[in-house]
Amino acid sequence: MQIASVGTAFPPHRFTQAEVSAMLVSRWGDKLPEPRLLTRLHANCGVDTRHFVLPLDEYPKLHGFKQTNDRWIQAAVELGETAIIRALEPLGLTAADISAFFFASVTGIASPTIDARLLNRMPFPTDVKRTPIFGLGCVAGAAGISRASDYLRAFPKQFALLLSVELCSLTWQDDDQSVANLISTGLFGDGCAAVVLAGAEAVIPTRPAAMPTILATRSTFYRNTEHIMGWDIRDTGFRIVLSPDVPRIVLGNLNRDVDSFLAAQSLTLADIGSWIFHSGGPKVLEATETALSLPPDALALSWKSLREVGNLSAASVLCVLEDTMKQHPGKPGTYSILAAMGPAFCLELVLLRW
Amino acid sequence: MSETPATAEAIAQIITSFIATLKELPPESVTVASTFDELHMDSLDKINLSFEVEERFKISIPDDALNSLRTVGDVVAGVQRIQSGS
Repeated sequence: MQIASVGTAFPPHRFTQAEVSAMLVSRWGDKLPEPRLLTRLHANCGVDTRHFVLPLDEYPKLHGFKQTNDRWIQAAVELGETAIIRALEPLGLTAADISAFFFASVTGIASPTIDARLLNRMPFPTDVKRTPIFGLGCVAGAAGISRASDYLRAFPKQFALLLSVELCSLTWQDDDQSVANLISTGLFGDGCAAVVLAGAEAVIPTRPAAMPTILATRSTFYRNTEHIMGWDIRDTGFRIVLSPDVPRIVLGNLNRDVDSFLAAQSLTLADIGSWIFHSGGPKVLEATETALSLPPDALALSWKSLREVGNLSAASVLCVLEDTMKQHPGKPGTYSILAAMGPAFCLELVLLRW
Repeated sequence: MSETPATAEAIAQIITSFIATLKELPPESVTVASTFDELHMDSLDKINLSFEVEERFKISIPDDALNSLRTVGDVVAGVQRIQSGS
C-alpha cells in the first residue's frame, strides 16, 4: 500500500514566539516567580512562529474545560474538513471513496467523535469504518499511518484516511507555572493534517508524482515510563506531563530499535536515504541525530517544521511527510524512515520505499 | 557599566564551580571541555547557569543564545565575547 497524499490546515491566527511569550508574561504576571525564565525557555524552543485557534487576547476569556473543549470541537471539525479536502482533491478522490477513517487527537475529546461529525458534513459512505484514537499523543501520526496500512493489507482495493487535529493552545492551564508548562506553552502549536492511503490494488484517478510505498511498520513500548509524558487530567483540563528525561530515552533506545527494525527487512541505517521525524523539540531532535549518527541536515525538514509551526503533536510528522512528498521526495527505489515517539513511552517506525 | 573583563581562567573557575554545585558533582569532574550532555544539564539548568553568569559578570545574554552552547568552554568564550563587546 502507498501514502497517496497529505493535506494540512492551520488556524488563521499566526504569532511570533516573542508575541506569545510577552502575552503569557503579561497574563500570568505575579504567578511567575521569574518572568525571564519563561522568555528564555521560549526563546530556546527552536520555534519562530505558531498558528493558534484564537487571537492571543481571547484565551483569557476561556474558562474551564467545557469552554475550551467546545471550542476544540468547533475548530477541529472546520480545520479537519479543510485538510481532508486538500488531501483528497489532488488525487481526483472525494470523501465518498474512503472506506476506513482513522482520527487521532490528544488535545480535546468528543462523543460522537470528530470523524463522526465530519461524516455529517462530507459525502463519506455511511458504512465507512471509523477508528477514533485518543491518548497516543505525539506518536499518533506515525501510529495512525501504521494502523491504516494494517487495514489496507486486508482490503487492498480500498482507500483509508488518517486525520490528526491537534489544537494545543486550547490545553493551556492558567494555574500551572511549572517548567514543563512553560516549555509546553513555548513549544506546541495548533494544526491539522490528513493523509490518504491507497491499498496495493486501489485505483487512483490522478496519480501524484511521488507516492512512497509502506513496506513495514513496528510499534515499540518502553516499560515503566508512564511518568515521562502525557496528561495529568484535572477539572480544568489537560495539565502537561513532560519529563526532561525524554532525550535520554531517545539516546538509550532509538539506535537499537531502528537497527533491529531494519535488520528484519534485511536493511541497515546506511540504506536509509531520508528521515521523516516528528518535530518534538530541539533536545529530542538533537538526541535523534546523535543516537542515529545522522549527517548534518538529515532532519532539516523536521527542524523547519518546528521553526515555522511548532510541535503539533501527532500532526507534526504528517506535516514533515507532506513537505517531503511535495518538495523533497526520494529517488525511485530509495528508502525513508517515518518515525515518532510519544506518551507510554513508545516508538512507532514506518519503513517507506519511493 | 561593565566590570573589567575577566580572564578565561577566572571565568572558567566561576562557571565550573557553579555547575558542580548545581549538579552536585565533584568540582574536578567539571572542566571547560565538559559537554552539557555529559553533565546532564537540561534546559532549566542551562537557563539557571545563564542567570548566574549574567549576575556574576554583569552582562546580558541574548535569550536565544543557549541552544548553540554545547560545552562549558562555549560559555566561557561567550562571556569573553560579550565582555569585549564583539
